[in-house]
Amino acid sequence: MMMRSFGIEFVPMELYWRTTYYSIQAERLGYDNIWITDHFNNRNVYVSLAVIANYTDRIKLGPGVTNPYLVHPVMTAQSVASLNEVAPGRVVCGIGAGDRTTLDMVGVEMKAPLRTVREAVEVIRRQLAREKGGYEGRVFRTAAGARFNFKVQNPIPIYVGAQGPKMLRLAGAIGDGALINASHPDDIREAVRHIRRGVERAGRRVEDVDIAAYTSFSVAESEKKARKPVIPVVAYIVAGSPPSILEKHGVSTEVADQIRSDLANRRWGEAFGAVDSDMIDAFAVCGTPEQCTEKIDALFKTGITQFVTGSPLGPNVRGAIDLFGREVLPHFKES
Amino acid sequence: MSYRELVKRIPHAMYERLSEKLMDVLLEAKGGGDVPSSLAKTILYYWQRDQLASEAGLVNLLQAVEIADPEGATAVLDEFGLEEVKLALRPAER
Repeated sequence: MMMRSFGIEFVPMELYWRTTYYSIQAERLGYDNIWITDHFNNRNVYVSLAVIANYTDRIKLGPGVTNPYLVHPVMTAQSVASLNEVAPGRVVCGIGAGDRTTLDMVGVEMKAPLRTVREAVEVIRRQLAREKGGYEGRVFRTAAGARFNFKVQNPIPIYVGAQGPKMLRLAGAIGDGALINASHPDDIREAVRHIRRGVERAGRRVEDVDIAAYTSFSVAESEKKARKPVIPVVAYIVAGSPPSILEKHGVSTEVADQIRSDLANRRWGEAFGAVDSDMIDAFAVCGTPEQCTEKIDALFKTGITQFVTGSPLGPNVRGAIDLFGREVLPHFKES
Repeated sequence: MSYRELVKRIPHAMYERLSEKLMDVLLEAKGGGDVPSSLAKTILYYWQRDQLASEAGLVNLLQAVEIADPEGATAVLDEFGLEEVKLALRPAER
């Protein structure tokens, strides 16, 4: 039977104890994975994860996703390896090219994303395996002997975050998992095709790759209440989406550029005001529990094996986790 | 009067619903950052063990809400008809 698991994303904008509270709640309700985003302007991802690891027992957890532009892969390897000592066997590592809007803000150029992510994954794997030899990539280099002073006892699966076709194929080729940054069934279906192509070209088995739809998600008792909180998130997604994705959903690059500029300059009203209903349908999974169940069911039929409820989750985070855990999750866990 | 003594004045039958309400207020409170880390961790300790509705859980919750959102604490106590507890918490309002 095809594996079906559920992840939840938290953005550590909140105080650490609130994120931890929600994480305990998610574990109790049957979620399988916790993904914590990594942005310089929020609280540190590994501090957040370490606290969550302390207060949970079963759920898997990791960065979702970190990027190799702001964090060197040897440091990512060190962080997840250290986290593994707090939560043995529960650590996963999500890595992607990052978010253009955020990188722009700190003057970091997203150069050669495919090569950078590929090399970063190689460096992380070598570090976790305590390889003795050095690494000579075009982007990253490590000297022979540049390795941990401690052993990593458990395997740490690496998930590659992807949106565009090439990155999706790379995720299929090298990832233990793939995190598809999309919410619309058409986008996810196409993404799964690309991932499978990458898997096949690399001579791997598709069953060995956990394919996750990392969605912008919101659930509430009414559709109206569920849609409102996704607006800011959709603004960021539009701002960070490649032109091919925007075009597919009828969003002009001019509109996306304007939203990106408004976000970078903290003109929230303008940025969020530009998000329309079609954008919400294209870039978010939201609605009542019944509507969400139906949408998630359709997404699993595209071939994904994990569904991630990304932020904002709902108008009230605690209420949304509870609603999802009571009224949506059992539909899949019991079937 | 200590928070423990205050909680002892609350009927046991209210513990479950009261803890839920207080947690709702605490999670949304603008003053959440004022809650000492040690107190926040104690609350997480009880939550992890599903004991926030115990006497000890409520003692810590009430204390945290009183720090993070005193008006919210008052509103919850009013909603539950816990006038005596409210006045004991804020003697100046007598």
